[in-house]
Amino acid sequence: MDKLNEQLSALVDDELGEPEQPLLLGQLARDDGLRDRLARYQVISDALHSELPHRIDTGFYKRVHAALEQEAEIHAAFPSRMKTLFRPLTGLALAASVAVVAVLSLQSVRQQEKAGGPVIASAPGVNDYIRAGNTPVPVAQRNNARGLDVYLVNHNEYAANRGMQGMLPYVRIVGQDLQPDSSEDAE
Amino acid sequence: MKGLLPVLLVMSGHVFAQDSARDWLDEMSSALQTLDYDGIFVYLHDDKLEAMRIIHRMDPGGQRERLVSLTGSAREVLRDDKSVTCIMPDNKSVMIGQSRPRQPFPVVPRDLDSVSPYYALEDVGDDRMAGHTARVIAITPRDSFRYGYRFWIDKNTRMLLKSDMTGVDGKPIEQVMFTRLVIGTDIPADDLQPSLTGDGYAWHRQEDIHRSADNSVSGEPGWAVAKLPDGFRLTDFQHKRMREGRGDAEHMVFTDGLATVSVYVEQSSAERPGFIGLSSMGAMNAYRAMLDGSQVTVVGEVPAATVEMIATSVERRAEQPHD
Repeated sequence: MDKLNEQLSALVDDELGEPEQPLLLGQLARDDGLRDRLARYQVISDALHSELPHRIDTGFYKRVHAALEQEAEIHAAFPSRMKTLFRPLTGLALAASVAVVAVLSLQSVRQQEKAGGPVIASAPGVNDYIRAGNTPVPVAQRNNARGLDVYLVNHNEYAANRGMQGMLPYVRIVGQDLQPDSSEDAE
Repeated sequence: MKGLLPVLLVMSGHVFAQDSARDWLDEMSSALQTLDYDGIFVYLHDDKLEAMRIIHRMDPGGQRERLVSLTGSAREVLRDDKSVTCIMPDNKSVMIGQSRPRQPFPVVPRDLDSVSPYYALEDVGDDRMAGHTARVIAITPRDSFRYGYRFWIDKNTRMLLKSDMTGVDGKPIEQVMFTRLVIGTDIPADDLQPSLTGDGYAWHRQEDIHRSADNSVSGEPGWAVAKLPDGFRLTDFQHKRMREGRGDAEHMVFTDGLATVSVYVEQSSAERPGFIGLSSMGAMNAYRAMLDGSQVTVVGEVPAATVEMIATSVERRAEQPHD
């Protein structure tokens, strides 16, 4: 799986070696889940590059699929702006060097806020994002936290209040694919 | 006397650095709660990377937040001052809990002395975050029962740009980093509405059964924890119903001032109680054990050994003699 992830990452980065391409492209043609994963990698790649379009193109993998039928022109299916980035996730650390943090605000937001004045951004919004890769994460990637979601949600209100990160405890709920506890749901 | 001056200077410098670190954290907390913002960030955990969007607006009636996944399952969390709603399309379920009022500056206890035996606060200095100057604040645990934190705070807006939670070896186990952040923008009301209706989903409501007016400890728990790491104390206790149709659960909350651990004890009515033993999600660890027909679930942003120690030391409290 790590090898496959590495190849997908390299494909997103437009750095997959030519000898490896036919096999991976063949797998992509046969595997819906793999195509979704490719789309998901694309979104993360864009997020790290701050290049998220106003609408994430969920048809990305379809273009890949179409491109598979014209394998000789496969490179045309991947935007040239995908440079560097998505090396294998294993061991990856978030470093400022791999991302452009776009903090868009009026320079005097804090001062204005203290003075009770309006806080207005001149920057464009990030509206209308839609999601890509809506396929549930394969079971093998899930953790074993059956039925834990109700406790996480409840605990988070206490952790957010006393802990360190405000809303960020909920990141774990949004970012984790917890298995539902069928025994509890059945009650 | 000559030798004392350098010592005093070092000590005063140390105190200044701690005060400075706390000020930065206070201001970061205030920014997170009071500013209107719309951001994209990446979340790294367990060698997985997710992209999410957070939208936060401060209304006259209080804070409103929406967190939505851009990758993986299309989960959303919406929160205001009354409730927290989690929409989980992968489970086809919607979970509604009661939100708790947040303190104006909940991040760092004002009484720094209460946490200093267990954590060291350090103003590390400035760092460049992809073109922005950030102040780095580190919180390092003094033992292996808790995690550390490292924050990159934008010097201009005081917003959090990046945060690391570090394990007992000091290495990051969970990282959050904004890749795009718009501050002070006019947030349309529609952006704070869920994109999913929840039609056809199973809806679950959590509710407190006995809650004191000040949200503090109410009544006496029927259970106790025999082994707690130094510094942790009981701060909340409530009876609640974790799912409709289930019996009461006792919920005890312990904190050392920064880390928080929840202990839930409830009658085990299901044939299969779900997971038993340890489960982890990034920096969040959980441990479930069975005890006299009851299910003990411990959840917290602390190391696995800490939740296990707490879960396996839960015991029924001895009957208190009545006068």
